[in-house]
Amino acid sequence: MNNPLRSPDIVWRVEKRRQAEVLKALEAGEDVDDSGTVILLQSGMMHQLNLVGGLIWQQCDGQQTLAAIAAELAREFSVEQEEVESDVDEFVTDLKERGWLING
Amino acid sequence: MAEVTEMFSAPLTFNWTLSYRCNFVCEHCYSRDEECPELAIQDIKRVVDILVEQQVPFINFGGGEPLIRKDLYEVAEYASKRGLNVSMNTNGWLLDEVAAQRLKDVGFKSVGISIDSSEASVHDAFRNMPGSYEKAVRGLDALRKVGLKSTMSSVISRINYQAFRELLDLAREHGVNQVYLHNFKCSGRGLKNREELDLTPAEWQAFYLEALAVKHQTDDLTISFDDPVIASLPEYQEKTMVKGSSCGKLSLHLRPNGDITPCGFIPVVVGNILKEDFEKIWFDSPVLKAMRAKEATGKCAGCSAFDDCQGGCTARAFATTGDFNQPDPHCWK
Repeated sequence: MNNPLRSPDIVWRVEKRRQAEVLKALEAGEDVDDSGTVILLQSGMMHQLNLVGGLIWQQCDGQQTLAAIAAELAREFSVEQEEVESDVDEFVTDLKERGWLING
Repeated sequence: MAEVTEMFSAPLTFNWTLSYRCNFVCEHCYSRDEECPELAIQDIKRVVDILVEQQVPFINFGGGEPLIRKDLYEVAEYASKRGLNVSMNTNGWLLDEVAAQRLKDVGFKSVGISIDSSEASVHDAFRNMPGSYEKAVRGLDALRKVGLKSTMSSVISRINYQAFRELLDLAREHGVNQVYLHNFKCSGRGLKNREELDLTPAEWQAFYLEALAVKHQTDDLTISFDDPVIASLPEYQEKTMVKGSSCGKLSLHLRPNGDITPCGFIPVVVGNILKEDFEKIWFDSPVLKAMRAKEATGKCAGCSAFDDCQGGCTARAFATTGDFNQPDPHCWK
């Protein structure tokens, strides 16, 4: 299976209060690309994922195909699935290269 | 980065003292003279539930000696099954192979053992416990044998600052991958014995320069420092999650009765996890707010390093002056 799966070496959590604030800012038309909502902890280092990255990350349970993840993201942001497929693919490829995601 | 609570809805780590009871009387101990009622196992599990609810990912049991509490295994198993990453620091006296296997079985991710000298007689004298070095080393070997990750903690003081390389070699010999060279805290017995144990600021600077050089040349061992004052050295290049002390920002401390303090070395209670709303404590505590927004005072005012070190170790400043904002007494600038 090639479905993306979060590496068990990474500890992570959704910063819910932060996420709520970012969603509010998004609704107000603000640019939230650089605003972290999910933190990843690995070997004493912290990394942050923005809203879109965080939503993709949360679905990477090894059960969801890339298409299913893209469909969920499209539904979340009320856009066509085709519009987000390449973003999902690029993001997952990047995180697999970093070792943060593995093949489920 | 932005204000800590803008990003973090809870600390990443709770350092948890289940009991202040200990079988040792170490020269530097911050807690040996502490007394505090202990929670029953049912209440301890309620605390775990709160930590899970608040998405705190790590708990680290300290003390006192964590293995003194017979139900440590039950607590750890409950916490690890609920998804927490559980670790602890021990003096190793009670850590034989059977105990190591049990710790692994109940889900401990790692166990740290305190060793302050590679010379048995020096360690034993510092710990006021004959035979403690041998048992600590035996503990490391037991952890290795059962396949549980071990770390080694050494509090740097006058007894070992010139021999830290030997401590690193000792770690290598016993399969340890990570060594914490902890900074000396002037709390509890550490404050009483400060004159004999603490280094001068110039000695701290020289130690850190040397230790950093060794760290940069070392690739078979992770050498960790937890001293914010080190950030004032240009040689220190690590990217840390927060500036200054991490206590009150990334971590909090739980006393045996559920009281929360910013860290084990700052005896200021900011609330009780079983009696008060945790989020109110985390977001609204005036003490935590003050620690997260320290003001440059005394020689820190106008110092170019303040942005990086935030005045150094808040616990040390507080222990020696009663004021969070005073400069760390270890500062060499």
